[in-house]
Amino acid sequence: MNKFRLILAIAVGKILILFSRLMGNQGSNFPGKMARRIYPGILQQLAARITGKIIIVTGTNGKTTTSNMLARIIKQTGASLVHNQAGANMIPGITTAFIAATGMTGRKRFDYALLETDEANVPLLLKEVKPGLILITNFFRDQLDRYGELDYTVQVIREAVKGKAIDLVLNADDPLTAYFRDLTAVRCWYYGFAPGSYGSRESRESREGRYCVICGQELQYQCYHYAQLGKFSCPGCGNHNPGMDFTGHGLVMHPALELRVDDMLLNSPYQGFYNAYNIVAAVSAARLLGIEPRHIQKAIADFRPEAGRMETFVINGRPTILILVKNPTGLNQSLAAVIEDQGVKNLFFALNDQVADGRDVSWIWDADIEAIETDRKIKQIICSGIRSGDIALRMKYAGYPAEQLVIKSNLKEGIEYLSGLTGEINYVLSTYTALFACRKILLGLQKRSAAPAGKVPVRG
Amino acid sequence: MADFNIVHMYPDLMNLYGDQGNLICLQKRLQWYGHRGVIKDISLDGKLDYRNIDMLFMGGGSDREQGLVYRDLFRQAERLQEEIENGLPVLFICGAYQLLGKSYIGAHGETMDGLRFFDFYTRGAKDRLIGNIVITSTITGAEISIVGFENHGGRTYFEDTELQPLGRVLKGFGNNGEDKGEGISYKNLIGTYLHGPLLPKNPAVADFFIQAMAERKGITIDPILDDSIENFAHHQVKSQILGG
Ligand SMILES: [Zn+2]
Repeated sequence: MNKFRLILAIAVGKILILFSRLMGNQGSNFPGKMARRIYPGILQQLAARITGKIIIVTGTNGKTTTSNMLARIIKQTGASLVHNQAGANMIPGITTAFIAATGMTGRKRFDYALLETDEANVPLLLKEVKPGLILITNFFRDQLDRYGELDYTVQVIREAVKGKAIDLVLNADDPLTAYFRDLTAVRCWYYGFAPGSYGSRESRESREGRYCVICGQELQYQCYHYAQLGKFSCPGCGNHNPGMDFTGHGLVMHPALELRVDDMLLNSPYQGFYNAYNIVAAVSAARLLGIEPRHIQKAIADFRPEAGRMETFVINGRPTILILVKNPTGLNQSLAAVIEDQGVKNLFFALNDQVADGRDVSWIWDADIEAIETDRKIKQIICSGIRSGDIALRMKYAGYPAEQLVIKSNLKEGIEYLSGLTGEINYVLSTYTALFACRKILLGLQKRSAAPAGKVPVRG
Repeated sequence: MADFNIVHMYPDLMNLYGDQGNLICLQKRLQWYGHRGVIKDISLDGKLDYRNIDMLFMGGGSDREQGLVYRDLFRQAERLQEEIENGLPVLFICGAYQLLGKSYIGAHGETMDGLRFFDFYTRGAKDRLIGNIVITSTITGAEISIVGFENHGGRTYFEDTELQPLGRVLKGFGNNGEDKGEGISYKNLIGTYLHGPLLPKNPAVADFFIQAMAERKGITIDPILDDSIENFAHHQVKSQILGG
C-alpha cells in the first residue's frame, strides 16, 4: 500500500515539476506539497536512500551561496547529490528536490543530500531526515514577522539538535552560536576569521545579538567583521569567541577574493567580505566531509555568481546588475557595492511584501540607506513592486532628492524605464518574490537589444 | 531655527522592527520645516532632564528587555507621569505602550508590573496578532486614516471606560482583536501597536507631534511640506489592506 502511494506521489510530483517548468515557473514548492498530500512519508523514505551524508545549510545570510559552493565542491569529487533549488528551502521545496532527483520507483541511491533550509523549518526537517552535518552561517534579523523573535528561532533549532549525533559547523564570530556550545552528543566545529583579517571598531548595523546570550550583559568587541560578527567578550560571564577549528586568514579583496583557510589557498571570482565568509563556511564543511583540497580549490575557483547574486545583463551595450535583497545587513552590503562603483548609475528597487519577502517592510528602515546620500553618481532611483511607496519614502527620508525619485509600481514598466535612462551602469535590487520576474524582464531586454539590426522582434 | 530635542529611550534594548524610521521621519521633517531635530539616546541608569526634552520615543523589545526597562523607569515614574499630564509629546510603541498600563500577564500566568499610568492591562498569548492594519483616528481634529503593521502577542484591555484609544480598527487586530480599539491617546501621548514604521507613512501623525512640540516652545510651524510620496505610500498600503 505504502509502496503504491509512494510511486503515485512521485509520479504526480514529477508531472507537476515538468508542468511548472513548462510554465517557466521557478517556484518549486507546489509539486512537493501535492506529493506529500498523497504520501506524507515521501521525504522520509527518499531521504533514507542517501548512502553518505545528509547536510543541512541554514542561517540568515549566505545560506544559498554557501550551499551552492558546497554543492559545487561535492560534484567536483564525482559524487552524486540531491540539492534543492535556491529559495525552495522549506519542507515542500526540499521534498520537490528529492522527487526531481529520484527515479519513478523512488529507489535511486545518492551519495549526499545538501539541503538549504529556512531557519524556522530546521526542526520540522529533523523529524523527517537524519542529517550528519548542519552548517549554520549566522543569525541576523530577518523576516521577524514570520518567527516572532530571533532568540526563539535559535532556541528552537537548539532544542531540535539536542542529543543527536550531528556535526554542527558554526560561525565562531557570531555571539549567538554560543547557544550551542554545551549540547550533548552534538559535536561543534567552529570556523571564522583570524583577528585583523577585516573589519573595524565601529558597526552601524542592527544591534541584534550584541548582548550575551548567557548572562544578558552587553558584549564588548575588539573588532567587528560586520553586523554582530567579530571578536567579542562578555564582561559578565567571560563568554567569548570559541576557539576555531577552521581559520580564514590572508584575505585579499581586490580585484577578486583570495584567502587561506588554514593552509589551503583559495581564489574566487566573487566580491565582498560576506562572500569570503561563505567560502570559509563551505570549505570548512567540505574538509569535515573529508574532501581533498584539490577538489575544493578547483570548485571554488570555478564557482560563479548566480541569479540575484550580482548577475550581470547587457542591455543596449550597458551592464545591468541584479541583486537580491532581503534584510538590512544584505541591503547594506549591496548598497556598499553600488556606491563603490564609480560609474554614473541608476538604481531600480522592487519591494514586495509577500510571505517569502517578509510581510513587514519595516526592515528597510533598519538598513543604512543614508549611505547613498553622498553618492552624486546615482542619477535616478526607480521604486517598484507591491510596496513601491514604502521604498520611495525610505529613499526620500535617507536624503535622496525627491525630484530624482520615480515610482513605477509595475516591474516591467519600471525596468523598461530604467533601461531607457542615460548612464554607464544600472543596478536592479529586488526582494525575493519579485526577483524571478525582474530576471525574466532583464533577460528579455538583453535578448531584444542583442538582436541584429533589421531583425527587431515584432511586439505581439 | 530651533532645536527640538527628542529622546530615544533605551535604543539598545527596545529596538525591534524598524523603530529607527520614526526618528528619521521626525528629524527630517523638522529639518524641512527649517528647524533641527536632535536625537538623544538614553539607556539604563540615564537621567531624563525634562528642561531639555521636547519629546519621548520608545519602541518594542523582548520580555527580558522589557523587564529591565520597567525597573529603570519605575524609579522615575512619578516625574514622567507629571510630564505626560503637562502635555509632553510621547510616542510609545508595542512593548513600550504595554508598560504604561497596570500589568502584563504572560501566557503561563506570570505577571509583570506596569507603570500604572493608565487603567489597562495586557494579556500575553501564544498566537501573535500579525499583519497590516488600518485605523481611523481623530487625534488631529479631523478624521484621518492611519496605516501600519502590527506584530504582538499581547492583547491589551482597557478597564477604565474613559480611556480613549488612538483610533478604531477598520482592518487588522488593534489592542486585542475584539473591541476594535487600537492604542491609546491621552493629551500629547500616543501608545500604539502600529509600526511599519508608524510616522513616515502617516505624515499627519508625525506633524501632530511636531505641532505639539512647537506649540510648547511657542513656535509656529506652517504645514508647507509636499507630502505626495508620503500620501502615495499611505494610500498604496491602505487600498491593499482594505481591498484584500
Ligand atoms: Zn555573559
